[in-house]
Amino acid sequence: MATTAVTTDLEVFSEAPPAPPARPRVLLIGTALAAGSASMVIFALIGLYAKMRHDVLADGEVWMPEEGNVQLTPGSMAMVTLLLSLLTVAWIVQALRNDDRGHALMAFGVTLLLGAAYINGAAYGWQQLGLGVTSSPQALLIYTITGLHVAMVGIGLLFLAVMGFRAVGGQLTGRAAEGVSAAALYWFVTVGVYATVWYTITITK
Amino acid sequence: MTVTEAPRDAALEAAAAPSPSAPPTGLAAVVGSGDPRTIGKLFVGTSLLFLIASAVVGSLVGIEQYDTAGTEIFGADTTLRMFTLQATGLLFLGVLPLLVGLATAIVPLQVGAATVAFPRASAAAYWVWLVSSGLVLASYAIDGGPFGTEPEAVSLYIAGLIAVLVALAVATVSVVTTVATLRAPGMSLRRTPLFSWSMLVGGSVWLLTLPVLAGVLLVTYLDLRYGEQFLGGSGGVWNRVAWTLWQPTLYVVAVPALGIIADIVPVFARRRHQRHRSAMFLIGLAAALGFGAWAQLGATIDGSDAPAVWINEAPWQAVGFLAVVPVLGLLGLWTGTLGRGKVKLGTPLILAGMGGLLVFLGVAAGAATVIGELDLSGTTWMTGQTTLVLLGTLVVALGGVAFWAPKLYGKLLPDVLSRLGGTLVFLGALVAGIALAVAGALSQSRLVTGGATAVDSGDLDTVETLNLVSGIGLGVAALGLVVAALAMAKRRSGDGPGDDPWDGHTLEWATSSPPAVGHFATLPAITSEAPVYDARHAAAASKTEASA
Repeated sequence: MATTAVTTDLEVFSEAPPAPPARPRVLLIGTALAAGSASMVIFALIGLYAKMRHDVLADGEVWMPEEGNVQLTPGSMAMVTLLLSLLTVAWIVQALRNDDRGHALMAFGVTLLLGAAYINGAAYGWQQLGLGVTSSPQALLIYTITGLHVAMVGIGLLFLAVMGFRAVGGQLTGRAAEGVSAAALYWFVTVGVYATVWYTITITK
Repeated sequence: MTVTEAPRDAALEAAAAPSPSAPPTGLAAVVGSGDPRTIGKLFVGTSLLFLIASAVVGSLVGIEQYDTAGTEIFGADTTLRMFTLQATGLLFLGVLPLLVGLATAIVPLQVGAATVAFPRASAAAYWVWLVSSGLVLASYAIDGGPFGTEPEAVSLYIAGLIAVLVALAVATVSVVTTVATLRAPGMSLRRTPLFSWSMLVGGSVWLLTLPVLAGVLLVTYLDLRYGEQFLGGSGGVWNRVAWTLWQPTLYVVAVPALGIIADIVPVFARRRHQRHRSAMFLIGLAAALGFGAWAQLGATIDGSDAPAVWINEAPWQAVGFLAVVPVLGLLGLWTGTLGRGKVKLGTPLILAGMGGLLVFLGVAAGAATVIGELDLSGTTWMTGQTTLVLLGTLVVALGGVAFWAPKLYGKLLPDVLSRLGGTLVFLGALVAGIALAVAGALSQSRLVTGGATAVDSGDLDTVETLNLVSGIGLGVAALGLVVAALAMAKRRSGDGPGDDPWDGHTLEWATSSPPAVGHFATLPAITSEAPVYDARHAAAASKTEASA
């Protein structure tokens, strides 16, 4: 009986229409374009910051106001935190590819935690900066750039959470898996943008 | 995010599935629609209204400048604000959304997709753009906009413009993703129709440019409302925006126009586009040269007059000259295509030709701008160049609307009205652009109020007359836009135009007019950049063989 059943199944499969072509990676490409576009907002402000800083230094003046204190430690810790999150995001994608929901959930949890830690670090950096938001053009630019990046991270966390929960919740279809890849791509871009922010504001000040 | 996807299979299934309730009609069908054709038509229609308003304002500003010493219509401060309103309206409320709308409706058809990549995002983009455009206009009504005296209203202008930029970027992401991912089987990038290709490359550069303006405007908003106004306060706002109207950024706006012309020319030449791949390269080059976010007015920490960043420097000069290359190359290809074909002089070809001529004149004027000895930078020569390029793009887009009207509206547009409208816009733009350019050559500064202070007293009368002429030119262009809008509203009566009234070459002509939901029941084999042309010629050849 068992042999007959197997044969019947094979017959059914042999009569089935061919598999549809691979689904185009619409969400992945759309996310790449949106992420690139969002990055340009921050890059534009970094360009403005760098240009104004260059002009001030060229005049022989000091860029950062006296009371300003851009600390190296919180900014660098934030950078390390985000670099670690790259690993955990890659872990999510890999775990979902292997249909390993346990590891995927763990990786999601760690990523969300690292994202929250980054936001906490950024808030601490603002607290330590010693400048009011509108106290000087320098402060305005720093708060706008870092604030926009925190917003970018927040959107990335939301994106990862929505796509991740959909995937872990059982919708491990091609489209859902693509959603997680798209969220991961957005996250990678976010970390890349922070590397520029970190170098411009934390390192060169 | 995934709910916005609607690939072909899903759309066909959705269309075939029984509807639990009656489909919405009337206003509900429009407001709730995610159909790219509906969204595209909304963009096209609304942007045309804004363009008419913009051209009327531009006309009044020109007439106002007939007497550079006195002010008759607006008053000095308001004239400056109206100048910015005209420019903002022309680019962000007019030409860009018109192109985005045309692309939203036509690109999916051209690439054989059932819809755009993110239909709901496109619909949301339209409504956000519409409301934000209303906010921008409202800000002017309450003494806002650049140079406005009411800080809250100036802030409203900035916030509205940021929202406009976000909306246009979202709609562009949808179109670019459609070209990148939803092309029919067999349609490699090299076989992509040239309008779709131009949206892929031009739209990608828009996505790198519009956010730069949005970011700079965001910090300007914060500085204006809460900061020390180191970016120049209300008067400085325009310095943050104006670079989008200058070369090289100006050129990227015209890239889709090159694609439209490249799709129209071979159809009316009744032969394939000469050297399709070279045309793709040249359109790509035009887009690459159009990335101009690096060339804008700078800002200083103390809010004093900001020097230009890289404007008048070597890269800016290089781009000014190099931008002529792709346009000249394409003109050569189109001339070759028309010269070797059997030309059928239709309205789309006429409008594409007139618009292309304006764009070419604008690009050539840009090459002259970068010659330092001519001292044209910062004068109304640049305003004239902007007028030529933007209105040239507009005339081409009107040609595109006439060309694709069967797919947009299910009807052809009336020939006489369409030609008349496009011709009036062409003539108006030509007159206004040249008058402004000549006034610039006579040293009239680009900003209207006090612009004539550098003009020799002997030339003052001439400059004032040229200002009047430019005003009249823009008035004629406004009239042309009204006629073009009438043509779209009226359409051609009688039976539908058929699926392929022009004997088109690309996939959009392989489906019904107007297209049904899902666009294509079956697709022809795609073995070249002109699959419908191929299919027609194969059918004709087999018919000849059979009769022989």
